[in-house]
Amino acid sequence: MTEGALPAGQPVTGIVEAQSRSLWGDVWVQFRGHKGAMVGCFIFFAIVFLVLFGPMIHTVDPTYLDYRAKNSGWSLTHPLGTDNYGRDIFAQVLQGGRTSLAVGITAMLLALIVGTIVGVFAGFFRWLDGPLMRLTDLFLALPLLPLLLVVVMLFRDTLRAAFGPETGIFILIVGVIGVTSWMQTARIVRGDVLALKEREFVLAARSIGTPSRRIITRHILPNILSPIMVSATLGIANAIITESAVSFLGLGFPPDFPTWGRLVSDNQNFIGLNPQWAIIPAVAISLTVLSVNFIGDGLRDALDPRIRGR
Amino acid sequence: MLDNPQNVLVRVDGLKMHFPIYAGILRRQVGTVKAVDGLTFEIFDGETLGLVGESGCGKSTAGRAILRLYDPTEGKLEIEGRDISTIKGDALRNLRPKMQMIFQDPQACLNPRMTVGSIIAEPLDEHQAMSKEERQARVLELMDQVGLNRDFAGRYPHEFSGGQRQRIGIARALALNPKFIVCDEPIAALDVSIQAQVVNLLEDLQERLGLTYLFISHDLSMVRHLATRVAVMYLGRIVELAPREALYDRPKHPYTEALLSAVPNPDPETEADRKRIILQGDVPSPANPPKGCNFCTRCPKVMDICRTETPAFRHYGNGHHAACHLLEGA
Repeated sequence: MTEGALPAGQPVTGIVEAQSRSLWGDVWVQFRGHKGAMVGCFIFFAIVFLVLFGPMIHTVDPTYLDYRAKNSGWSLTHPLGTDNYGRDIFAQVLQGGRTSLAVGITAMLLALIVGTIVGVFAGFFRWLDGPLMRLTDLFLALPLLPLLLVVVMLFRDTLRAAFGPETGIFILIVGVIGVTSWMQTARIVRGDVLALKEREFVLAARSIGTPSRRIITRHILPNILSPIMVSATLGIANAIITESAVSFLGLGFPPDFPTWGRLVSDNQNFIGLNPQWAIIPAVAISLTVLSVNFIGDGLRDALDPRIRGR
Repeated sequence: MLDNPQNVLVRVDGLKMHFPIYAGILRRQVGTVKAVDGLTFEIFDGETLGLVGESGCGKSTAGRAILRLYDPTEGKLEIEGRDISTIKGDALRNLRPKMQMIFQDPQACLNPRMTVGSIIAEPLDEHQAMSKEERQARVLELMDQVGLNRDFAGRYPHEFSGGQRQRIGIARALALNPKFIVCDEPIAALDVSIQAQVVNLLEDLQERLGLTYLFISHDLSMVRHLATRVAVMYLGRIVELAPREALYDRPKHPYTEALLSAVPNPDPETEADRKRIILQGDVPSPANPPKGCNFCTRCPKVMDICRTETPAFRHYGNGHHAACHLLEGA
């Protein structure tokens, strides 16, 4: 046998106890070694930084219609030019980024939490499996767009009255996207939980007397982190794109309220004349999605002790 | 050892563990797998009871049912005189420290995302209010006990060899000072050289901590080395239960004879004369066991009565129990 197997009962002497490594320290070291994740991190935080603080430096109102400067090219006052109504493209992209990122991240978190809870309960508790999975099937079978139409029609005015026009729509959009996109996560999580709960270490935890809720938090959740991470990174992209689809149909944010998705769909009519109008927000969406994917990839590797340290 | 009667630690009485089979569109129950079908035995304080039998005969299920990892279909389980066959929830949880388990696959029984230190500390977290320092000290003490280097507390299971992983599993089982440990084929997944180390460790710990083992195995020579009494299982039932020497030297049941005849002998001269009793056919399905004696389909000494009546599990003197019609006439 290798080192470390000593006759039972003899205290190991002569070896200085190694400084115990902290879990998050290990995770960070591994994460830093993942080049893609570091590049992704850098790009993602650059986008977030620009979107948060950009409007404070570039103080042009994104909704201001400057007719005299419409269709203008690159200039100092309008770094990325203006559109056919004379609105500043750069200001619109910055302002739109705030909304798109906020919607993307919040809706993803909502979908992730709902999906994980449903998946874990369905996988772990046999008697909940049938009802919860049929509920998932029900949601998957719902036609998404008609449902969105109905929900928006029903709740838009109530939410607007309660939280103000922008917050109200934000809650509505995030809620609708979150509620209609948790099903994939739930199914993947359920499958993994079903496989995990038959593993011997869960049986060992039972034989110790660990209650179910701590078996879930201590043994199940850490081991289903990989699929959750993957659905999280895909979820952000999905939410940003769904938001643009909803806004495109005129059911999302009001027309003068820029989001990345809306900028792309509004400006695609001009793709032959002024391709940069649509390409810039499209690139912003792609860069965000790509960098989040890389971050998720790096996190997944860093959180798996079997990969860590290689 | 049977001359001085000992305290009974675990009493199993008519334990049955049946698993339902569902089929069809309506998922109706169409039958049951009788994995364990009426076990009756006692385990004395401080002894090692070996439980042997071929694959699929219900050994592991029996071990798990005794620890109440399953809800037994029928029968009574007692530990230290307390009936545990139907208790639930917190009452069962509070009894967990008394009885622990060592698992067959040392890779699968350790959570790959927990460090060795936190794996061994899990039972302490669950059952004992300890400060962080006390817990750490206890974990290191346990690692010493099973011969693991203290430095390894911060490492993850995949960084260890099979034997070391099994030691981690043993340390976890010992954490709460149990009296009774079910060893579910703890050496089956290990190399032969490491099997000896783990078995010696188990013996060592038994001596120092006064443990009682139910040692489940299909390795007859290892059971002979370790056990004080041996029970032989076939298709969910115990066919023979006897003190070690009696069982190995004078087996009473034809199945035990056949099993023992398959053990190779290290001495080439006697090995050359060894007569193997080769059983014909396969083990019947536990979902559909034969009528009468479970062994009647393969028994070389089968009689007519075996196919109609189930033999009773009787005591034939000196702690030698068996269930066979051949013995009843004698």
